[in-house]
Amino acid sequence: MNALILSAVLGVIMMFSGVMLKQKSAVRNIAITGLFLLLVVNILEMSGMSFFRINTAGMMHFDRFSLLFNCIVFFSTFVYLLLSARDIEKTGNYYAEYFTLIFFILCGVILVSSFQSLLILFLGIEIISIPLYILTGSDKKNLKSNEASLKYFLLGAFSTGLMLMGIALIYGSVGSFSTAQINMTEKPGALMIAGMILLLFSMSFKVSAAPFHFWTPDVYDGAPTVFTSFMATIVKVAAFIAFIRLFGEAFGNLQPQWQIWIALITAATLFIGNITAVFQQSVKRMLAYSSIAQAGFMLLSLYAMNADAKEGLLLYSAAYSLATIGIFAVLIKMNDYTFDGFNGLAKYQPLLAATTTIFLLSLAGIPLTAGFISKFYMLKAAVATGRHLWLVIFAVLMAAVSVYYYFRVIQAMYFKEGQPGIITTSPVFKYTLVVLAALIIILGIFPNLLLNWYYF
Amino acid sequence: MIYLLQGNLSVSDSGSYLPVAIQVLFVVGLIALLIFLTHILGPKRKTADKLQSFASGIESHGDARQPMAIKYFLTAILFVLFDVEVIFFYPYAVIFKELGWNGFLAVLMFVGFFLCGFIYILKKGALKWED
Repeated sequence: MNALILSAVLGVIMMFSGVMLKQKSAVRNIAITGLFLLLVVNILEMSGMSFFRINTAGMMHFDRFSLLFNCIVFFSTFVYLLLSARDIEKTGNYYAEYFTLIFFILCGVILVSSFQSLLILFLGIEIISIPLYILTGSDKKNLKSNEASLKYFLLGAFSTGLMLMGIALIYGSVGSFSTAQINMTEKPGALMIAGMILLLFSMSFKVSAAPFHFWTPDVYDGAPTVFTSFMATIVKVAAFIAFIRLFGEAFGNLQPQWQIWIALITAATLFIGNITAVFQQSVKRMLAYSSIAQAGFMLLSLYAMNADAKEGLLLYSAAYSLATIGIFAVLIKMNDYTFDGFNGLAKYQPLLAATTTIFLLSLAGIPLTAGFISKFYMLKAAVATGRHLWLVIFAVLMAAVSVYYYFRVIQAMYFKEGQPGIITTSPVFKYTLVVLAALIIILGIFPNLLLNWYYF
Repeated sequence: MIYLLQGNLSVSDSGSYLPVAIQVLFVVGLIALLIFLTHILGPKRKTADKLQSFASGIESHGDARQPMAIKYFLTAILFVLFDVEVIFFYPYAVIFKELGWNGFLAVLMFVGFFLCGFIYILKKGALKWED
């Protein structure tokens, strides 16, 4: 609750700071300080210091899982701002408003991570989506950005419509929005099943799972790269938390019915994401497809829905967000977004190349990185269900395919000659990248540093 | 999708929605019937004047895709925004007494946020008509 109220207030503060303050750096510093405060306040709530006692009428519940997830999100956003706040300002004239929208999105993330009622889920998803439509189109003079924004808006509105229809059908059959009530239904009727399937479709759209992924490459490619970074990491893992909470808490008893559907969606997502990423020429577009492929791995936790899966999803969201934010932060600095644009980066910018290599290794799931251990948790959870072993084997095969396109970047950086055009980077940027890379390795060796927070 | 068919149609479930289903059938049937009837019974006189497109009863002129000052749009959309927000006061007015001071504080907070938005709009100069 602390973080929810603070992030809404911070959004308003950022809004006015754009009007009152003339200096860009002041606005940026307020945003970074605000985010740090958000993280501190959230950690305080985890240790039992809640500043607000508000009766939410059972619509929200801040448990260990959601609070820890919020910590991961705030930390990732903090790192994201440290690395890319200057680039956010360069996107357009309304630099303070971009930070405002990011704080409002965080508000929505808190809602979807702690909802107990389908109403709050809907509100959260909308609070996340609407600012994103604006951020996608924030490069107003660029036709591609406009196209991406319009596409995202139309398809997003359509999938939200599906979600509302699903919620309405479920309300029609159960008579309540509360997830606990929905889970207590003895014999689910046709209405309830239809509602669940509609919710499954709309949530699959939000996490860009195949066959609902078609918007992702175009939107991620068209949006300004700084905001692609935000969308592909923080927003995507938030949608996953909503997904796993919804299907664990509202439809947990129906698991035998939906499990095979999720298994098929997972397999399709892994296949389409990984195979299509192989054929990309632009690193930005490759990362868009890689985000689909990684979504496939995160879907494994939904498929398994056990204790391992929840731990695994927390770890995966941290590992995936941090690594992808790092890669995007480097990508923003490049002039040329193709694979060839990375040629010879190691010679001119050894530090950037080395950290990028660590991020890519983590995404590919090479041991000693956080990406490996989180993939391991996901597979472990899927094996523990004892069914559909083909899915696990398929996932491992697809992870092997992903090595190809991640390593193409490493190959370009270290083994090809070229002169990469790169915008100069500040010392803060470099230090943050090094810390980020170190964090990924530390998490890979001691995943319990993060997971212990879940229990104590 | 198989589960749609396997779903257990309990009495309380399907029975209570029977009127809704009847209404849906009625609506679809009526529309289909009306379209069908007008097609069959109506006279067809196609003259050049009748086939012309017109707007609000007068002949259309000019191009619809003409650029127009953004301030018209901005004023209109802000009006709609504030108009919709005011609707939230109606349910509050109905249960004003039941909610007591807590409800009053909640509405005060709502108005506060609302006012923030209004001040922001004024500061940004969205309502400035002369350039």
